[in-house]
Amino acid sequence: MSIDIRNLSWEVGNKSIIENISLTINRGEIITILGPNGAGKSSFLRLISGDLKGSKGEIFFDESNLDEISIQDRSFMRSVMSQSQEIVYDFSVKEIIEMGWIERGISTYSGDFEEAVNRISLDCSVNDLLEQSFNTLSGGEKRRVHFARTLVQLWRPSGSDDPRYMFLDEPTANLDILHEQKMMKLIQKKRDEGIGILLILHDLNLAAKYSDKIAIFKNGHLISIGTPQEVLTEETLTDVYDVSMKIDENPFRINYY
Amino acid sequence: MFVTSLKKLGLLKFTNSFQLSILSILIISIALIFLASISLGSFNFSLEEIFNSSSSSLDRIVLLEIRIPRVLLSAFVGASLGLSGASLQGLFRNPLADPGLIGVSAGAALGASLIIVLGSGYLPDFIFGTLILPISAIIGASLVISLLYIFTQGFGYQGITYMLLVGIAVNAFASVGIGILTYISTDSELRGLTFWTMGSFGGASWQLILPALLIIIVTMFWMIPSSRKLDLLQLGEPEAYRLGVDVRKLKFKVIISSAITVGISVSLSGMIGFVGLVVPHLVRLLGGVNHSYLLPGSAFLGACLMMTADLLSRVLIQPAELPVGLITSAIGAPFFLWLIFRIRKT
Repeated sequence: MSIDIRNLSWEVGNKSIIENISLTINRGEIITILGPNGAGKSSFLRLISGDLKGSKGEIFFDESNLDEISIQDRSFMRSVMSQSQEIVYDFSVKEIIEMGWIERGISTYSGDFEEAVNRISLDCSVNDLLEQSFNTLSGGEKRRVHFARTLVQLWRPSGSDDPRYMFLDEPTANLDILHEQKMMKLIQKKRDEGIGILLILHDLNLAAKYSDKIAIFKNGHLISIGTPQEVLTEETLTDVYDVSMKIDENPFRINYY
Repeated sequence: MFVTSLKKLGLLKFTNSFQLSILSILIISIALIFLASISLGSFNFSLEEIFNSSSSSLDRIVLLEIRIPRVLLSAFVGASLGLSGASLQGLFRNPLADPGLIGVSAGAALGASLIIVLGSGYLPDFIFGTLILPISAIIGASLVISLLYIFTQGFGYQGITYMLLVGIAVNAFASVGIGILTYISTDSELRGLTFWTMGSFGGASWQLILPALLIIIVTMFWMIPSSRKLDLLQLGEPEAYRLGVDVRKLKFKVIISSAITVGISVSLSGMIGFVGLVVPHLVRLLGGVNHSYLLPGSAFLGACLMMTADLLSRVLIQPAELPVGLITSAIGAPFFLWLIFRIRKT
């Protein structure tokens, strides 16, 4: 059970944004994409989410071609968190989190839903904010609320073994150190529950610590993929980021200033 | 019981009990205002007379053939404008959106003006009779929708601003058309045109309103179940799509249903401004912003306000009558300014 991306390319006009990328996201695995600005990381995430259609190549979710999966079914298989837009009207935090509820048939899971929302809010430390107006929150708090919504979207009653995936575009942006660590641990916990997770991060050390695999993008190409120790070498990083890097082996740490 | 069964169906899952009580109060208000509206006017009826069949035949004709259709029409026009205002504000994620804004009202107005000024001279009455005016207005509204459809590539265009700009252009174009028609109209046509552009429910008759009410009711029941999707759309179009909303289909649904209800409303009652804008804001202030409450709430409050405005238009300067559009604009315009002021502050 995995997401298989085969020879994916995407062009805008004559400019190639993503070029011939093949990648597998396995269930129960955290794979992180690293790369400088404009490397095509976010475009890649939008392509595999189905927001955009690639010009070449194919994407398979557990052997089904993404093009043939309905919009409703896609929302049931994967949740996506990206840089969110401003919300005009005055929704409460709880209302925003509950937007992760995907209707399938009529009220199939309504019994446990309330409980799940409360538990997830606690996990994301937003349980004290539930009745507040979303628009009054700070940037970091908003981020945590959106993360809770992303988790609610993948929530299932116990015993279900649906394949599920999560794509997160810089989930830790705007978070303080405490909540950054909490969120990364929660992401690991979700991985252990069998969810396949694709992350986009900028912090190299954070990526090294929490990822099972790392993929490095540059100019729309996949430069290198493997475990953090395999991929994060001084030569590769210096070449990709144009900044000289030094790596300590024990503990594993990347130094660049 | 009704509420429980709706909850079971999952329709009211995201409506809280406070909001349900507001909706119930609005429904009761509709009934009360309806009774007040049919009993008061240049002919006054006591409630006893209304329910008692022994009153004189002239009274009954006034009540059944003039008063009741008129009040019903005002209620449904109010509900249409309120509902389409709420759903367009949701769709455009813009608190200033209004059926007038995307040019639908103007399209309908141009269609109707064409008939008022040119129709009488060139079209023999027997072709469509009294239905020619509404049909022409609906054609006008549909033309605007088709234009929007073409310019936004089947509503698939990502940016909503683009659609608003097309709406502005359509509005300007319709004003030119109405301006020319005003210029070439004769005195009596001009009178009809002017009165019509200010809005009135005076022309209501069963023959005209029955098909209209039927279409409006069907469209509302088509629209209201989309309320959850409109909530999700508030997160942004990509987010809504990722949560399983076919955004393109939703846009199509909201815009088509607004075109139909607004087109019919404008054709039967003229241009009535600000109701679509003001009503959803009042409903939000009362109880919350989620659309499963906002859409029915706006339809109910729209009906209440419009019946009241029509009642005022009939009793303020008896036995004459004020155009109801003047009353709604007189109340709506200051509210609009207050709204802009408030938005700028936040």
